Amino acid sequence: MNLLKLNIVIIISIFLYSCVANQNTRDASLYKVPVNDFSRTVELLIANKEFLESEIMKINALNPSIQRIILGADDFLRKENYPKANSELERAFRLTKSEGALYLRIAHLRYKQGLLKESESFASRGLLLGNISSWERLLLNVYLKN
Amino acid sequence: MQFKRSIGIIFGLIAFATLIFSAALIAVIDYRVTSKLDGVLWTVPAKLYSRPLELAESIEVNKDNLIKELEMLSYQKVKRPEKSGQFSFSRDKLTIFLRGYKNQRSGIFDITFEKSNVKSIKNQLGISEDLIKLEPIVIGGMYPAHMEDRVLLDWPEVPQVLIETILAVEDQNFFNHYGVSLRSISRAFLKNIQAGEVEQGGSTITQQLAKSLFFTSAQTIRRKVMEAIASLLIEFHYSKEEILLAYINDVFLAQSGKRAIHGFGMGAQHFFGTSIKNLETDQIALLVGMLKGPSLYNPRRNPSNATQRRNLVLTVLNRNFKISDSDLAQLKTKELGVARPNYRTETKYPAFHDLVRIELQENFNEKDLRTKGLSIETNVDPILQDALEKSIIKTKAQLIKKYGKKLSDIEGAAIAVDVSNGEVKAVVGSTAPSAYGFNRSINAIRPIGSLVKPFIYLTALDQYKKYNLTTMLDDSKLSIRSGGEIWEPDNFDKKFHGKIPLHVALWQSYNIASARLGLDVGFEAVEDMFSKLGIDKQFQNYPSLFIGSFELSPYQAIQAYQTIAADGFYTPLRSIREIKDTKGEIEFSYPYSIEQRIRPEPVALLKFAMQQTFERGTARGYSSEDIRSWNAGGKTGTSDDQRDSWFVGFAGEILVLVWLGFDDNRTTPLTGRTGAFQVWKNFIDEIKPISKAKTSLPRINYLWTDMNDGLLSGKKCKDSLLVPFIEGTEPNLIPSVRRTCSNRIENSDEGLLDKLKQAFEGGQG
Repeated sequence: MNLLKLNIVIIISIFLYSCVANQNTRDASLYKVPVNDFSRTVELLIANKEFLESEIMKINALNPSIQRIILGADDFLRKENYPKANSELERAFRLTKSEGALYLRIAHLRYKQGLLKESESFASRGLLLGNISSWERLLLNVYLKN
Repeated sequence: MQFKRSIGIIFGLIAFATLIFSAALIAVIDYRVTSKLDGVLWTVPAKLYSRPLELAESIEVNKDNLIKELEMLSYQKVKRPEKSGQFSFSRDKLTIFLRGYKNQRSGIFDITFEKSNVKSIKNQLGISEDLIKLEPIVIGGMYPAHMEDRVLLDWPEVPQVLIETILAVEDQNFFNHYGVSLRSISRAFLKNIQAGEVEQGGSTITQQLAKSLFFTSAQTIRRKVMEAIASLLIEFHYSKEEILLAYINDVFLAQSGKRAIHGFGMGAQHFFGTSIKNLETDQIALLVGMLKGPSLYNPRRNPSNATQRRNLVLTVLNRNFKISDSDLAQLKTKELGVARPNYRTETKYPAFHDLVRIELQENFNEKDLRTKGLSIETNVDPILQDALEKSIIKTKAQLIKKYGKKLSDIEGAAIAVDVSNGEVKAVVGSTAPSAYGFNRSINAIRPIGSLVKPFIYLTALDQYKKYNLTTMLDDSKLSIRSGGEIWEPDNFDKKFHGKIPLHVALWQSYNIASARLGLDVGFEAVEDMFSKLGIDKQFQNYPSLFIGSFELSPYQAIQAYQTIAADGFYTPLRSIREIKDTKGEIEFSYPYSIEQRIRPEPVALLKFAMQQTFERGTARGYSSEDIRSWNAGGKTGTSDDQRDSWFVGFAGEILVLVWLGFDDNRTTPLTGRTGAFQVWKNFIDEIKPISKAKTSLPRINYLWTDMNDGLLSGKKCKDSLLVPFIEGTEPNLIPSVRRTCSNRIENSDEGLLDKLKQAFEGGQG
């Protein structure tokens, strides 16, 4: 009986270890962007708007409910239906003010609408958030350069 | 022969004249029929809606306010929700049968809470849902002169059961006649005799439509003839479906105050608080039954008549094989199920409406607003609006109790806005908030007293190389020549306070130190700051401006404070979100727009000083825990001779500004603290703000400083306070008397710990 219990414990331990070992650390905040590469990356993003947009759309919200709204907004953004994209993003902003993904989207939307000063202001506002990753920070900086 | 010819000619002439007259009459009626049915019938007033409340997982909500909102929406609290419009609530779980609104489908949802956060939302199959949306509250409309209110239905939106019930009761032969039906009249006559009461009318649906659209209810032969002609013409011009749809949208169902409820779409909203598609057979039977006598069978006023009539309609449906015998028996036992009169079916927020109208006037003409059926989604939060109204009424009563009847005609105004996005959430323009009249929130231009001081201090702090929070200001006697006169400002306590740190001068609201600071930074810099904050008003260079002789309306003042509360990001205040057409497409929107006008670091320093107003200044009384979790800050204001009492404060995501005073500008016994702050406090105590999202300013360092001399100090030293500084502007001198209590090594460690603690607790850092 004791041997059986021991086996169960060993199997569970192996299972837990394998789960932990296989975890892929995808947290964007762990990606460090070296200072030297920072400006070069920003320049690259500025030069290629499609690349920039695809990078923006890869940034997910921390809250799944907000992410669902963001997906809808992205869809409208791709179809260049800016009023509806804006409407969805504002809807998300009413639920939370602490998602870097939202500031990125709205800065990008304003940029696409040609409202460059507003785009910059939204990016600056996003940079005040305490919980954004360094990649989000870098992307927000693109709109300050624009 | 001659005579016969004459008679013939006369008859001929009469016949010709009759023909001409008849043709003209038919032409006139035809014109009226087509113009009215093509145009006027389809004019629908714009409707104003509150913001719809959305719930999402992991989002903080105030549960008490959520329940209040459900009650406002006429949701019924029951043990187990089984019908749409019902809910049950225990401490950590809300079960709600949503009525459905736009993309939000109707159905039962379980919402669980963990403390004040939404933990999960699940549908009745137990599947997680990310979001649910409650329907908004109708807060009024832009009604035309005839005050007809309707919700237009299109053919696909009309439930089959409604069509069947109308036809069964009103006109069984509708699809077979040409507008007038002798068969219908005779059949109705026989049926009514059999039933012993009036079950069916003899007029066809087309005749009823003609009567409702063009004629009075007078029972004259002339009217009957005209009605018959109009009916034939309607049938000539329009298809049966179009006629039935016009009828469904036009019938008169009830009078609600000055508002006339027309059509089944509006009837469903008015009596059941939901759209027609959600109604059950018995509810539709009730509405159809009301056509015979909207007042006599009004379910709110005459429930027993209404029940009788509904049951009769259900019997007719059964006789026509539309419902089974068992359904009939079951439906007859049901209660009427009429919702409470919708909390806000009438225009009830007059001050808010004023704001909406001002914004609308810029982009819409009056006619479009009264006829195009626009949906105006406003930002008003009914919970906050009600709380603000109650607070101003309650505070007035408290003040009268304290100071006597001399305050019985004290007036007031208050505005609540969302700090970040500038959405106006609530507006009160009088101490009788539900009455129309002079809207002081927009129109009362008054001296803002000490509310001006944060603008002066921010001007200084923006010059951060010269000023920080511990810069010593001079609060000794000041005497300057201004406009040919000597100007000598006083402090409220009539004392001089010598040299004091800048932040102390602000939260203690010392006039002389503030005037000197204003003179030091200069009119030009202050004027520039006013403009950055969003004050769009002529600026005049006189020194009394620095201590509050500057005049603003509450709305103008809160716009400036929004820029401060939002860390230097100016956002134009807006009362409207979007305007949609009848198809739900966005016709016009008022998007969230921001502009960074001031660097966030100087604003963070100012907000720290404004937080001290709560910690130790004129708004003290809240716990440090609340103040930090809300990241609260505020400022009291009292104008000369206490004619105006002001308070502005932000807590969580809400910024609220309050003014109290007399319309004739006479003096009051009130200061900012004893008057306006009490309204603010009553409001905040009622709504309990949710905590504020944390911001990160890496260039801000916190150091212990002394509150008297502004020099470095230590946590354990007397009168010390942890004060934020922009990197590179920190003081570095520690007086020898504080060397023992402020061991610098220990102090720096403590500083780091406190900084971390502050960051976690929600302070600036």
